[in-house]
Amino acid sequence: MMRLTRVELRRLFSRRLTTVALLGALILTGLMLFDSFQRAKPLSGAELASQQAQFDQAHKEWEANGAQMVQDCLTAQAEQQKTDPKAVFPCDQMEPNPATWGKPQAKFAEMMPSTLLAGSALLIFVGFLVGTSFVAAEFSSGSMANWLTFEPRRMRVYCSKLAAAGLGLIPATVALLGLLTAGVWLIVHHFNPTSVTTTKVWGDLGEMGARTVALALAATLAGAAIGVLVRRTVAVLGIAVGYLVLVEGVFGQALQGARPWLLQLNVTAWLQHGATYYVDSCATDAQGHYTCQGVEKVLSFGHSSAYLGLLVVLALGLAALVFRRRDVS
Amino acid sequence: MIASTTAALAISTTGLRKTYRNRKGRHVAVAGLDLAVPLGGVHGFLGPNGSGKTTTIRMLLGLIRADAGTMSIFDHEVPDRLPDVVGRVGAIVESPKFFPAFSGRKNLQLLAEAIDRPRGIVDQVLEQTALGERGKDKYRTYSLGMKQRLAIAATLLKEPDLLIFDEPTNGLDPAGIREIRNTMRSLGEQGKTVLVSSHILDEVEQVADTVSIIGHGRLLASGRVADVIGDQTATSLRVGVADPVAAHRILTAGGLLVRQDGALLVVEGFSDGAEITRRLAAHDLFVNELIPVRADLESVFLELTADEGLETVGVAR
Repeated sequence: MMRLTRVELRRLFSRRLTTVALLGALILTGLMLFDSFQRAKPLSGAELASQQAQFDQAHKEWEANGAQMVQDCLTAQAEQQKTDPKAVFPCDQMEPNPATWGKPQAKFAEMMPSTLLAGSALLIFVGFLVGTSFVAAEFSSGSMANWLTFEPRRMRVYCSKLAAAGLGLIPATVALLGLLTAGVWLIVHHFNPTSVTTTKVWGDLGEMGARTVALALAATLAGAAIGVLVRRTVAVLGIAVGYLVLVEGVFGQALQGARPWLLQLNVTAWLQHGATYYVDSCATDAQGHYTCQGVEKVLSFGHSSAYLGLLVVLALGLAALVFRRRDVS
Repeated sequence: MIASTTAALAISTTGLRKTYRNRKGRHVAVAGLDLAVPLGGVHGFLGPNGSGKTTTIRMLLGLIRADAGTMSIFDHEVPDRLPDVVGRVGAIVESPKFFPAFSGRKNLQLLAEAIDRPRGIVDQVLEQTALGERGKDKYRTYSLGMKQRLAIAATLLKEPDLLIFDEPTNGLDPAGIREIRNTMRSLGEQGKTVLVSSHILDEVEQVADTVSIIGHGRLLASGRVADVIGDQTATSLRVGVADPVAAHRILTAGGLLVRQDGALLVVEGFSDGAEITRRLAAHDLFVNELIPVRADLESVFLELTADEGLETVGVAR
């Protein structure tokens, strides 16, 4: 088993798709860092002057029309409260404030979670693609039959492929996450040296990173399992795109009650340790108006853990069963 | 049916059966096949396309599951005990299949590592199959002949006692066909057992010591190539004379079974050329061509399957 896994690892890293996918992930990580750089970069002298000019103009307008603007705001709030009694407009925060005007200083604790979420999505996709292609290519090229004439114990073959796909992708995932995190921290620290990152922030980011690695591993294994079942990388990707468009997009919008059972939301909930989503709650009010409001719901981390875990176990189990029994041509 | 007289067997199957199911219904690919491949030498596995040869080989190698029957390789029941014996079996099933983006050497290195063979053996088998110089090239750039040679190299990684070649010369040019046939013959002469499946009669006649003929998934005949031919069809003579019509009348009157084949006569079931010459000369008809016709496997196959409506086997190339 160990020998087979070593061979599969060599094959994994000899594949062009693995190299291209990891290189692509590296480039996209670089682009994310560039985006972070742009967001963290303070304004230039010209931009600051332009910003000051805009503030002065806004302040002039406030001095001239501020009272009227607040009055208009309160009127609009009162109108809205006829249908939504809880509606509160920020009428007391309308005066231009130099402290909140313009671009705020970059803070690692604010920038990193969203960057990490985007990076996680990328790494999960890369894991799924590499896992699928790693196994499916063997079926589509016909070399699986050849391989089985050298090692006919199918469960060993199956497990070695899964192990190689998983073990091979974990270091790459960790390295890319590390690069992204270190890169963003360096960028923020460069522009805002006084910024302090608390232990709690690091702890939360560490947990999110660990969850990303676990999910990328699960995506790789699930991809490999689906590769066994479908046997064509293109077909798997087609199914994945079809699922995202039809089920997540169309079905998810039409049947909002089913959203806790959709993949994307569960992935987000897993990565963020819980997620909120909105469903429309519609009713006819006392005046006879039929109105809908977005009601916030919470998808718990436990729910997403159980849901994703079950999906992965089902995919792995089904693929094992099929691989064990299927005729290989 | 001629039973094999060899006691020790490299391969044996009993009542082997495989049915494929698809949208059009059920198709019985192998229907109770009893196969016995003796140890050592080349054994031809002959039958028309679709007769169940590849399915049988795939079942022996554990690639597909048999519906019924038993199989063994070197007295090990397969597929249950295939892992115990697979190291002694090298096989090429249909066309060779390797990773197209990897070099020939890389493909072999992965296989060698999987079965814990030393790295040096890869260069050794590449040299053996005359692929040493092309070993570093990607598999997808190989010609069909080179792919076939690489597949043979892969089988040799194991230093096998049994080699299974499924239609090994399909798509090869004449030089490639000759090369593969020589390789099979040479392996057989080294004492290894070579099972070669083919729908080409000439091929089996040229390389095989023993043969099993199947049709519709069942064994039709088995034994030494010469015995199978001898038992099933009498030899004939092709006779050339200046006046074939007169010669036909004379020989028929003498009780022989004669038919005309172009400018020649074919005397069926009679191999005494001297007697033919004597009878015709007695009537001033002198033989200008006398060719003994050896029965071939095609005749055997046609005879064996005459009442089964099977398609004919392919002609030799």
